Amino acid sequence: MINIMIDTCPGFDQWRDAARRCILNDIPPDQILWKTPDQAQDSLFTAADELPPDTPDEFSVSKDFIDLAETVMCHSDNARFDILYRLLWRIRHDNKNLLKIKTDSDVMAATKMVKAVRRDAYKITAFLRFREIELDGREHYIAWYEPDHYILQRAIGFFKTRFRNMNWSILTPYLSAHWNGQSVYFDSTPDKSLLPEQDDFEDYWLTYYASIFNPARPKKKAMLTQMPKKYWKNMPETRLIPDLLKTAEARTKEMIKKSGGGV
Amino acid sequence: MQDKIKTKLEILADAAKYDASCASGTAGKRSAKKGEQGIGSLTGGTGICHSFTPDGRCVSLLKILMTNYCIYDCHYCINRASSNVRRARFTVQEVVDLTLNFYKRNYIEGLFLSSGIIKSPDYTMESMVRIAKSLREDHHFKGYIHLKTIPNASPELQEEAGLYADRLSINVEMPTEKGLNTYAPEKKLNEITGAMGKLDHKITEHKQSKSYSGKRPPRFAPGGQSTQMIVGADDTDDKIILGSSVSLYDTYKLRRVYYSAFSPIPDASIILPLKPAPLVREHRLYQADWLLRFYNFNLDEILQGTIDNMLDLDFDPKMAWALRNRHEFPVNLNTADKHMILRVPGIGVQTANKIISIRRYRTLRWEDLAKMRLPLDKLKPFICVLDYRPPPHLLDSNHLSQLMRPSQQLELFGAAT
Ligand code: SF4
Repeated sequence: MINIMIDTCPGFDQWRDAARRCILNDIPPDQILWKTPDQAQDSLFTAADELPPDTPDEFSVSKDFIDLAETVMCHSDNARFDILYRLLWRIRHDNKNLLKIKTDSDVMAATKMVKAVRRDAYKITAFLRFREIELDGREHYIAWYEPDHYILQRAIGFFKTRFRNMNWSILTPYLSAHWNGQSVYFDSTPDKSLLPEQDDFEDYWLTYYASIFNPARPKKKAMLTQMPKKYWKNMPETRLIPDLLKTAEARTKEMIKKSGGGV
Repeated sequence: MQDKIKTKLEILADAAKYDASCASGTAGKRSAKKGEQGIGSLTGGTGICHSFTPDGRCVSLLKILMTNYCIYDCHYCINRASSNVRRARFTVQEVVDLTLNFYKRNYIEGLFLSSGIIKSPDYTMESMVRIAKSLREDHHFKGYIHLKTIPNASPELQEEAGLYADRLSINVEMPTEKGLNTYAPEKKLNEITGAMGKLDHKITEHKQSKSYSGKRPPRFAPGGQSTQMIVGADDTDDKIILGSSVSLYDTYKLRRVYYSAFSPIPDASIILPLKPAPLVREHRLYQADWLLRFYNFNLDEILQGTIDNMLDLDFDPKMAWALRNRHEFPVNLNTADKHMILRVPGIGVQTANKIISIRRYRTLRWEDLAKMRLPLDKLKPFICVLDYRPPPHLLDSNHLSQLMRPSQQLELFGAAT
């Protein structure tokens, strides 16, 4: 048994290097335990072993596999290292078309992770909110966002394009990104205290959000499928929701009374 | 004292919320390139939903009225001259600032602006155009802009609006001329359709000239035009409503017709019904509209056999058609052409394509349908595959409609498939 430590996040390069050595040294998947630093408190935790020796041999994998691995690697479940290594092993030893077999359980597990990552990388573009501060005499926009997975690098392109001529910082619990109009700088020790307490336009946004809700037609379930509660912490307007729902009926009655209707 | 902008926003967002055409449409891709000024991008698809309100609607645009003062007196409208509603008016600069600042905070994809009519249609339209122009030219705003144009404003202004907006729309308001005369006495159907015709002409012209000249002509409403009509305020039946949609799609190449179930408004005019139109009717109209545009149904097929030319409220129009045309079923998914596959309740366009691609390589079995996660209970009576045929009594059974009756709740959120 060999214990391999991945102490970067999400850890693609480190995993790739380790996986390459393991494949070339013929170490089967069930002989590897993939570790991350957060498991150090576990009672069963054993220290990391030396990586197997590097060899000058090479082998190639399909582009499909690399794409898949890059995406799966953003998933927050640490099982990702194991699933990917098993896929790699099986592609080499059992079936080079394994990825085409969509009903294979390893392929299905990986596909499910891909979907979760893609969705999460999309949701950040929708649900992230900036607040404005002044930094060195210039407008600077700061957001704190807690994604489910390690998707900041994947999603950064959207923000670079849309807010190219703005200076901004996106902070997440595992990584922050800073843009100065030219290039992005990533920092793995994000500091949440950079986020200002409030923003002048956030109040207007809340006003807007409350005003476009039609109290005659509450559909909480439809809202929740699109915007599950786990995202609410990123969005200031969601703190209005409980109250909007609670008062909806009374407001509708009031409206009907005013309209002279007896419905 | 409460912040003035806040009060205006309250009033003018509230006034715009009864408009159904909310989503931002597609208008291609766009963004500031390296070294270019400006802010914003269009990502190519339909706009991102940046939030959802507790009524389940997507919040994609800053959707406001420039003002809810109005010299017209359309009965169905809360802003009509004779209503007692609180009034407010944004300045051009205020709308520009709100749009930009909302956009920079990643709240929105852009602006959806409509307005009550102040002083004159031209005066109003001119202010709206100034807002769009300032966003585009002073601030190089590359986000989405939808302007609801004023039908009887001058053609020059309509044309200018098209240069700055991604989408233009003009509401036909009522599905019939009679309805319009009764409920919106100052509006004229021929003015509305006349303006639509001109816009369509412009949009097409700008699209075509692309291929002839070397230079790109200025953009002109690349997202096309759309319209909205109110249903259930008078007794117009669904056949007439859908009929006018068909002719609008054909004649003016509209991207979308939006249906808005009449709902009682505060301080309503006395000629309006007191009861809201059932929301499910609006939903059925959208489903039927969808079948007309993407499923090769025609109007007569959809309405044939209905009572008083009204869509069945209990069943989606595709299911209703299937129940009335049982002799066409079961459809053999291994041999039927796409046209017929699309008529099976529970099978949408994507599924139909999948079926056709899979069956090239293998004969479909029940198990394949299960793997595709199709609604098997719904499909069961209407299809056959290699190892499955519906029992003969199923299609004839009087209980079939009973069996297929959806639970109302769930059904309200589903699209017709
Ligand atoms: S023109 Fe008619 S529909 Fe438009 S705001 Fe005025 S009253 Fe309302």
